[in-house]
Amino acid sequence: MILEAKGIEKSYGDLKVLHGINFTVADNETFAIIGPNGAGKTTLFKVLTGESVANAGRVLVRGKDVTGMPDFRRARMGFGRTFQVARVFSEMDVYTNVTVAIEAYLSGQDRLSSPWWAWAPTAEVRREVEELLSRFGFARSRWRSEAQYLSHGDRKRLEFCITLATRPRILFLDEPTAGMSPPDRKEITRLLRTLKKETDVAIVMTEHDMDIIFELADRLMVLNYGEIIASGTPDEVRSNPRVRDVYLGQEMSHA
Amino acid sequence: MNRLALFAVAGLFVAFAAAPLVVNSGLLFIAGIVLTEILFALSWNMLFSYAGLASFGHAVFFGVGAYTAAIFLKYDYGLNFMLVIGLGTFLGGAAAFVVAMIVLRRTSGVTLAILTLALSQLMVTVIGYSGYLGRDDGIPSIPRPVVQLVVFAVDMRDQIQAYYFILIMTVLAIVLMWLLLNGYLGRRMKAMRLDPERAAFLGVDVWRLRVFAFTISGGFAAFAGCLMVPWAQIVTPATVSWLHSAQPMLATLLGGAASFWGPFVGVIVMSAVGYLTRTYAGLSELLIGTCLLIVVLLAPQGILGLLRRRIVDEQMVEDVAEHIVDSARTEKEIA
Amino acid sequence: MTSLFLFSIANGLVMGMAIFLVASGLTLAFGILKIFNFAHGTFFMIGAYVAYNLTGEEPSSFLIFLGAALVATIAVGAMGVASDLVVFRRLAGVPAEYTLIAAFAIMLIATGGARIAFGQDMHAIYPPGALGGMIDVGIPISVYSLFVIFAGLLTFFGLEVGLNRLWFGKIIQAVARDPWMSEMTGLRVRRIKLASVALSFALAGLSGGLLVANQSLTLDLGHSYLLLAFCAVIVGGLGSVRGAFFASILFGLADSLNYVLLPTMPGVVVYALLITLVLVRPEGFYPELAR
Repeated sequence: MILEAKGIEKSYGDLKVLHGINFTVADNETFAIIGPNGAGKTTLFKVLTGESVANAGRVLVRGKDVTGMPDFRRARMGFGRTFQVARVFSEMDVYTNVTVAIEAYLSGQDRLSSPWWAWAPTAEVRREVEELLSRFGFARSRWRSEAQYLSHGDRKRLEFCITLATRPRILFLDEPTAGMSPPDRKEITRLLRTLKKETDVAIVMTEHDMDIIFELADRLMVLNYGEIIASGTPDEVRSNPRVRDVYLGQEMSHA
Repeated sequence: MNRLALFAVAGLFVAFAAAPLVVNSGLLFIAGIVLTEILFALSWNMLFSYAGLASFGHAVFFGVGAYTAAIFLKYDYGLNFMLVIGLGTFLGGAAAFVVAMIVLRRTSGVTLAILTLALSQLMVTVIGYSGYLGRDDGIPSIPRPVVQLVVFAVDMRDQIQAYYFILIMTVLAIVLMWLLLNGYLGRRMKAMRLDPERAAFLGVDVWRLRVFAFTISGGFAAFAGCLMVPWAQIVTPATVSWLHSAQPMLATLLGGAASFWGPFVGVIVMSAVGYLTRTYAGLSELLIGTCLLIVVLLAPQGILGLLRRRIVDEQMVEDVAEHIVDSARTEKEIA
Repeated sequence: MTSLFLFSIANGLVMGMAIFLVASGLTLAFGILKIFNFAHGTFFMIGAYVAYNLTGEEPSSFLIFLGAALVATIAVGAMGVASDLVVFRRLAGVPAEYTLIAAFAIMLIATGGARIAFGQDMHAIYPPGALGGMIDVGIPISVYSLFVIFAGLLTFFGLEVGLNRLWFGKIIQAVARDPWMSEMTGLRVRRIKLASVALSFALAGLSGGLLVANQSLTLDLGHSYLLLAFCAVIVGGLGSVRGAFFASILFGLADSLNYVLLPTMPGVVVYALLITLVLVRPEGFYPELAR
């Protein structure tokens, strides 16, 4: 078990958004959190990743309590995060984006061999960067393209690239395929499937696209108004009548 | 750095190096001051464009260096001037460290600006009450030192030698800064400025990096202050004032904040305007203010930004074309 | 000893009110336009100069004194309108830093222009006859000081009532909090912003016209008041009139007591207070519109 959430509660002023959320994520498991808009998915995400502080409850990673830990420390512990609107370093080129990520990872692990005043990235860093870039389909000719001029799909790919540069052990994906064209969507799905197979990373994701959920998720959890109304395997959840009610039978009527 | 920029920088260096042979001593004096102001502006730009922090009281750190140098030169404690510079730089960095530790914990943006401004005014007031530091009149008539380097000595009492000393030291500092900002530290800081949360999620301790950036920036500012003092031979509370803090800001924005070289252009333009209008009270402010306004309204990226846009647009067209070709290829593969 | 104490408190109140007159326009500008108007102090000074040019060193009557202040108000308000039309309006969608720089640039232009127009000399100004002299309210205080206190209170209540009770005040607040939504509901946001800018600048001009008799008139007038007004606005909460009021009084008292308690180091108390308060409560006393 890599992640455990115990009794997470969060309020914004008088508005209680999360009412005692409990769940676990096993190693190498892909866990999806779904629910209608406003159910508290993003808030829960923020609490899990350290972006927000919960009012009550604890988050444990492999038994270790990380509840108060700031986001950068969680990152060093193996948390990776992508955002709904891909966040990359817009005024830097693709190569430098990944370089920064790799350097951040190595220095976070105290494994960066060069000092802070070093100028060029070390050979080790460059090797890692170039390997990662080719794995994600960035041809050499694109390496010096500035991130802000990339297409939407390319930005998402870049974001994956830099997130995976930090060798996360648990990956938090916030609507990974939001707003993507079908070919890009296929590619991300393929990427994630490869990731599941080749590494032991656990994935926690929120999504609205049910096709993706059923393709990738091992287990899922349905939130509504800050409470868990169902959890289990995709098939179990799909046949749950409460869930059908919430979704008005629309997306769940797939297949 | 493209070819054009390289030529421009080289040309600039040649111009400054040749100055003693070409201009009269009055203009040479200004050239020397401009050199230290460029370094000061660069130190501010480091904080603003790379770390994303707007310090409105940066003259404090310049002043720490300046007053340190002034004390050691005026009261003749017999310390080698190179060591004095080292000490001044260290103290400036230390002061910046303390300020950052206090201020960065809770504030940012406008509040940070005002707080740094208040701190600088506090320093002005404190200096104003210290007889040792010369009160409101400052420390005048500071003797120029003879700097003992390992194999030879630079006699700063000779204007030409003093000028070249300042030029070399400034160039060294600028080179060092350039290396830092284009290397690991610069990348990390820039990422932090562009998207602090993203950087945090990669494991960057943003707060610590900001304090670090502040410290280094303060050190460079103090270094510039140390160089200014034997040249101008006077230091006053005005050196630490809010007005002096504003100058690197203006210079950077005028020249183009997004570039390492922006402050160069800005300081030179401002100094030129200041010099040409020195007999007409108020005219320099009017002109500089108008320039700045035009820059903000029409070209927020500053003078260099305007020039750069032409180059960037071409790059963008290339990128878009590449992408179209790539996605056509990918579509074919998937289909 | 107590009379000295009382005297310094009275002095502090006067100072506080004076600061508030300057700070009120500043905090309004921030609350509505989200700009920290560096030029505010300069326009305060211009207001003072305009008034001085109309009345001379000693205004011959109270009415003339007020009239000059009114003219200053209108003149500076007009400059505010010009600023909005030429500058601020164009920077509406652009990151805040640029508006900050633009305000800075306007300050330079105004300072330079004023230097050219008004010259470098220093002038000593006296209050008009009706406000001259001292009266005794337990401690001797000048009539003019009482006038300043009165003006400050009047401005405060005027703004409080205007912004919170009257229809145009509520509209201004709506635009300040959510310009997009206001536009949706049919409010003429641009026009309202223009009016707000004009009001903010007008207040600067008014305070300049009224306070000119308080001290000698120089071009640096802008700087000293401006800094204290900045402090008051930050500590009170950016955009909050109430906060600016109480913070101004606080700083006025602090500065005044500084003279009594630490005569060798004037000004230190103010900065120390600012730093402490900001660190303790960075959002200010009334963090209303400081989003």
